[in-house]
Amino acid sequence: MKNTVTSALRNSLRLRLLAGTLFWIAASIIAAGWGLSSLFQRHVEVQFHAELKTYLDQLTAQLAPDSKGQPTLNLPLSDPRLSRPYSGYYWQIDEINDDAPVSSGLLRSRSLWDHVLAVPPDTPADGEIHQHRIVGPEGKMLGMGERSVRIDDVPDGKPRSFRLIVAADESLMSEPVARFSGALWVALGVLGIGLVFAALMQVFVGLAPLRKLHAALGKVRSGETPRLNGDFPAEIMPLVEELNTVLAQNAEVVERARTQAGNLAHALKTPLSVLANAADAASKHACREHSELTRLVLEQVTTARRQVDYHLARAQAAASSRMPGARTSLRPVIDGLLRTMRRIHADRQLDLTCRRFSEALVFRGEAQDLQEMLGNLLDNACKWASHQVTVDAERNRNELCIIIDDDGVGLLAEQRDAVIRRGIRADEQVPGSGLGLAIVEDLARLYGGRLELMDSPLGGLRSSLTLPATN
Amino acid sequence: MRILIVEDEPTLQAQLAEGLGAASYAVDTAGNGVDGHYLGATESYDAVVLDLGLPQVDGITVLRKWRASGRTMPVLILTARDGWHEKVAGIDAGADDYLTKPFHMEELLARLRALIRRAGGHASAELNCGPLTLDTRSNRATVNGQAMTLTSHEYRVLAYLMHHRDEVISRSDLVEHIYAQDFDRDSNTVEVFIARLRKKLPPGLIETVRGLGYRLTTP
Repeated sequence: MKNTVTSALRNSLRLRLLAGTLFWIAASIIAAGWGLSSLFQRHVEVQFHAELKTYLDQLTAQLAPDSKGQPTLNLPLSDPRLSRPYSGYYWQIDEINDDAPVSSGLLRSRSLWDHVLAVPPDTPADGEIHQHRIVGPEGKMLGMGERSVRIDDVPDGKPRSFRLIVAADESLMSEPVARFSGALWVALGVLGIGLVFAALMQVFVGLAPLRKLHAALGKVRSGETPRLNGDFPAEIMPLVEELNTVLAQNAEVVERARTQAGNLAHALKTPLSVLANAADAASKHACREHSELTRLVLEQVTTARRQVDYHLARAQAAASSRMPGARTSLRPVIDGLLRTMRRIHADRQLDLTCRRFSEALVFRGEAQDLQEMLGNLLDNACKWASHQVTVDAERNRNELCIIIDDDGVGLLAEQRDAVIRRGIRADEQVPGSGLGLAIVEDLARLYGGRLELMDSPLGGLRSSLTLPATN
Repeated sequence: MRILIVEDEPTLQAQLAEGLGAASYAVDTAGNGVDGHYLGATESYDAVVLDLGLPQVDGITVLRKWRASGRTMPVLILTARDGWHEKVAGIDAGADDYLTKPFHMEELLARLRALIRRAGGHASAELNCGPLTLDTRSNRATVNGQAMTLTSHEYRVLAYLMHHRDEVISRSDLVEHIYAQDFDRDSNTVEVFIARLRKKLPPGLIETVRGLGYRLTTP
């Protein structure tokens, strides 16, 4: 459980931000609530005791023993709550003399009715006020203040000590605190919800550019755009620019590799031509002992050329099929190839037709690779056709399907497999030989597509090439 | 028939010149794009063999310049780069066919024959004119099935006339197309070749059109 939580936190930036924010929101709201309510409670308590002291002072001022030494008040205390029974405000005067037992409740407020406050035995020193908690009428807890007063000028000449007690219902103090706390927590709760909502908004709005970046990268990968487009916040812009630089560099490296591979092929093939022609010429007027050598040279030159062609095509495709962002319109490539086919197969007076298909068909990959695949298939069809070659293309969801038909002799099912498979195991077979279909198959595979050969309605061979499409 | 070879690799150029010469073509050579373009723009050729990877000016540019200035001779491009994009670029620049290196001399000759034939509007490798038949594959002429013995120059004159059957060919045209550039040309020798051919051919096949030139036609 703990592990899932930590790994979720580690994996989600959103969760991390949310968890951090929510923790601090909760902590500060709880701290604020606790602090404010205890501050208020302290304030109410202080006020409560200040009120008790006021009553105690009034009581002290009005206390006057009568002729028998019994305590009386010169004037009754002014607060009407002290007269209403069980109102929650009480006073009581006890007599405490050193030589006699405490006589409780000699004089009591009207509000006490017939109740006598049971006060723990205590003798505050002169001027001191002691505070206690006691059980009052109806079992309610009371907060209480007491003070002792010694009166010397009593008519009977015997000084007396009294204990003055003022008490009030504690609920008078705790009720406002509870009310305040309730309101406080509701207010803080609303504040908390607001903050959580704000945090959520902030995280989702704040992380929106990352989602946009994700979408933009997806477009690059799917070949819709060659680089990251769109406006990004200043914090993400450097990242986007770096990514674009890397993409551009990547494309440049691929292009350079392509050119270098082409140069290598060029550099190799011209000497191969010289060698082949020399051997050719030698074989015509050669003596017998050299004929074996010239045959060998010619054979090896042919093999070398095929190897160069095959691996060159593969290397170029391997580089470019991993290049993000490449896209090629189908129509211009087919038109260019048809022009070429008409020219190089001019002798054969073929009817080369391209069915009407949408101009908007786009292949997700390099133009050169598309040309290579379609060029080989079309050339092959033109070589074998008697009169007619047709090209058609359509899009099925994310796939581009290009169909090339000819009216030649066609291929038997087992021949088709052999023709295609020739390129797969380059070490065992002579690669790139035959109909060039092995290269087409290899290229299509590198792009995640496929080449299928079947019977054509025209009577010859139908080559169906499936490749990834894009918009 | 006169051919221009534009190829920068000296050995290959020599081999091409030798192979084409052996097939009775008059051959001019150039080793870079600038010379190649100059020759192609100023001389008359029946076909050009053009390498694409040339120093100074590349083959595609040379070809484009020829076509832009209205030169229509058939051009066979030689390329070491086997990609279809190169072939399409070559054809779109105005080439008539391509051959990838390394190639067999026989294939090059066959392609050239086809190009020259096509340029003259002939569908078959065998050209006919009455009893006379010219097999461009074997460089042999027959009259009523009987093989003719021809020298290299006689063959060139006859082949050029056969490719342009029923057309009036001027003497200077003939000179242009049977001699290589550095050859010491003398238009009087053309008359000698024509006279020799007339002796070997049935009478009336080669007409003299006064003031204009010669015409090969069925009598």
